[in-house]
Amino acid sequence: MAFDLVTVMVPASAGHLAVLRTAVGGFAARDSFTLDQVDDLRMAVEEAAVQLLRHTRGDRVGMEMETTEAGVEVRLRSEVAPGDSVIDESSFSWTILRALADDLRVDAGDASATIVLAKHRIDVSGPGDELWP
Amino acid sequence: MAVSNLDRRAHTKALFTELRATGDTAKREELAKLHLPLVEYLAKRFKDRGEPLDDLIQVGSVGLLKAIDRFDLGREVEFSTYATPTIVGELKRYFRDKGWAVRVPRRLQELSLRLNKLVAQLTQDLGRSPTVPELAKAAGVSEDEVLEALESGQAYSTTSLDAPSGEDDDAPMRMDRIGEEDMRLDNLEYFASLAPLIERLPEREQTILYLRFFKGMTQSRIAEQVGISQMHVSRLLTRILEFLREGMEGTAEY
Repeated sequence: MAFDLVTVMVPASAGHLAVLRTAVGGFAARDSFTLDQVDDLRMAVEEAAVQLLRHTRGDRVGMEMETTEAGVEVRLRSEVAPGDSVIDESSFSWTILRALADDLRVDAGDASATIVLAKHRIDVSGPGDELWP
Repeated sequence: MAVSNLDRRAHTKALFTELRATGDTAKREELAKLHLPLVEYLAKRFKDRGEPLDDLIQVGSVGLLKAIDRFDLGREVEFSTYATPTIVGELKRYFRDKGWAVRVPRRLQELSLRLNKLVAQLTQDLGRSPTVPELAKAAGVSEDEVLEALESGQAYSTTSLDAPSGEDDDAPMRMDRIGEEDMRLDNLEYFASLAPLIERLPEREQTILYLRFFKGMTQSRIAEQVGISQMHVSRLLTRILEFLREGMEGTAEY
């Protein structure tokens, strides 16, 4: 199957968080994710973006959303101080993101950081077992 | 029979000429009456914002009268072309003044309520949270409409935090069903700065926070456990995170 890639770039301001949240919701919903998962992704993107905004040295936050074999991967990037990993792994924020995303990592570059979130597709071809195992 | 555009244009011009020459208010009224269909047409574009159409026509008419008073016959432009932005401007100002620029259209509010019930139903039937395509099919609307309604559900709740969030607010907290689980939020003690904030949350919100982020329960499962809808769990979680973020920065109220 062909994988979709959508890129969104917004000003680094809290007022634009909603744009990112809406974009990821629309993207995931088109890929047969359940409402639970769509909501998880929206919350995760918001949390990740809030953390980036606190650390950014640039004036933009970029978000790439890509469908993968396993599901969807979302990459949020902004300019930060060299080596800044944005989210401390002992923070509450990290705990939240760990709960919301199936995969989570931060790629700290020379002058930018990328928070990478992934959500795996579940089998929606029939009844699920997530509710009553 | 409807007045043809050509007739209307000629008539308009004649009326303006007379109005400017004599200042006869009857001519002004006649001009307003002649262009009422334009007001109605423009007002209808705002009808999904929850205001009665009659009120909107009233507001648009004010714009029309302003346009009549300001129109310069010497202009090389049709009166209707000149009046349109004035009428639309008046309508927009009306909504802005009411602080309803972000008001969720009634149509979306209704769809949102309907979806809420369908989500519960489908979750029961499927044994998992439904997908957007499944929800759209069950509701008989497009996937885009479902997304729009879900998004507006969020917007609605965050702009009116004090408003009742829905019928399920009255649902009992089924704490007994959570049973033996450790609800003391021991894990949270690790985040010392958060503890005083979390204590300020109502018990139900503390439970939801704990179940989602420390027990890894899905929203649907939490909804089942706590006895509220999945959409309500979603709204509460969003609101709780917002509260905690603000709280870490300074003053926050829940």
